[in-house]
Amino acid sequence: MATGILTKEVAIYAVPLVTLMLGLLIGYLAQRSGYCSIGGFRDWVLFRHTRLLSGYLTLIVASFAGYLLFWLITPQAMEHFFWAFTTGLSTPIPGAPGGLNFAAYLIFAIIPGFFVGLICVFLGGCPIRQTVMASEGNYKAAMFFVGMCVGSILFAAVVSGWVVAMMKALGFGG
Amino acid sequence: MRHPAFLGALIGILAAFSQALLISAGAPEAYGFCVACHTRDLVNGLVNIITNSNLALAPISRNAILPVMSVAGVLIGGFVAAKVHNEHRVKKGDFRAYLIYFLAGVVVLQLAMIFGGCPYRAALRTGYGDFTALAFIIAMAAGVIAGTLLMLKRAESEED
Repeated sequence: MATGILTKEVAIYAVPLVTLMLGLLIGYLAQRSGYCSIGGFRDWVLFRHTRLLSGYLTLIVASFAGYLLFWLITPQAMEHFFWAFTTGLSTPIPGAPGGLNFAAYLIFAIIPGFFVGLICVFLGGCPIRQTVMASEGNYKAAMFFVGMCVGSILFAAVVSGWVVAMMKALGFGG
Repeated sequence: MRHPAFLGALIGILAAFSQALLISAGAPEAYGFCVACHTRDLVNGLVNIITNSNLALAPISRNAILPVMSVAGVLIGGFVAAKVHNEHRVKKGDFRAYLIYFLAGVVVLQLAMIFGGCPYRAALRTGYGDFTALAFIIAMAAGVIAGTLLMLKRAESEED
């Protein structure tokens, strides 16, 4: 069990506050910079523009640097850093539905990745760009956000179970 | 401040700081910022509180008094930035466009949840050392390139 700077008793109160502050800052700066991961790749393909792409690539490098820094400061809070060395290549960080094997998680990365890219480029932006455009008064982007909210309940209530059952039936059980 | 690379660096560092601060509240790791998962936590967490249901959400949001609020922050932060700089413009669409965007939102969230993150958490997971997340990013780039080329082709055939 990983232990952070705050004790559990304090952290359970700090979670909504700290994440709200983080979100406010990110939302403000994302609006000012037009931050978008999908747009980064799109602009590079279309115009060889690297402005947005640099934002996303910097995020990957900076997250490594950030986790490394805090791993040095509070190693007990970064229990499995660097994941590939502590846990191995064949187990992903939890997030996807559990109980399946490595091949399933690789499929879960590649197929959704491809279609998230394909769908979002037609909509004109990745989830954060849509959320920021919604806050700028774009009703279409707001409908995308409403779709994500409804989709959250749908995934938890039914889709998650279907996906796991299907993958197990196909022989991807872990 | 207005360069995307500045925000990219900031999210990376703050996501790590947020984990260092809050991880005692619960797993998972590399969860500092995610538009899809944090939307899921916020919606399902509030629905669970209101209707006493038990929809799935990340342990950190389940254990805390309220779920993660990052997405609410992004909405408010974006709104304030747009208002302050006179960039808030109401842009309406037709019913067909609303329906397409709504369905796309539903579908993108299912895809993101199957993987376990949006493009941002994919970047955080990659930085944390999970190479399946790198596969997601490469596949996403391939999807964007395919989509962009399709759009180019369509635009060219309309010109003829």
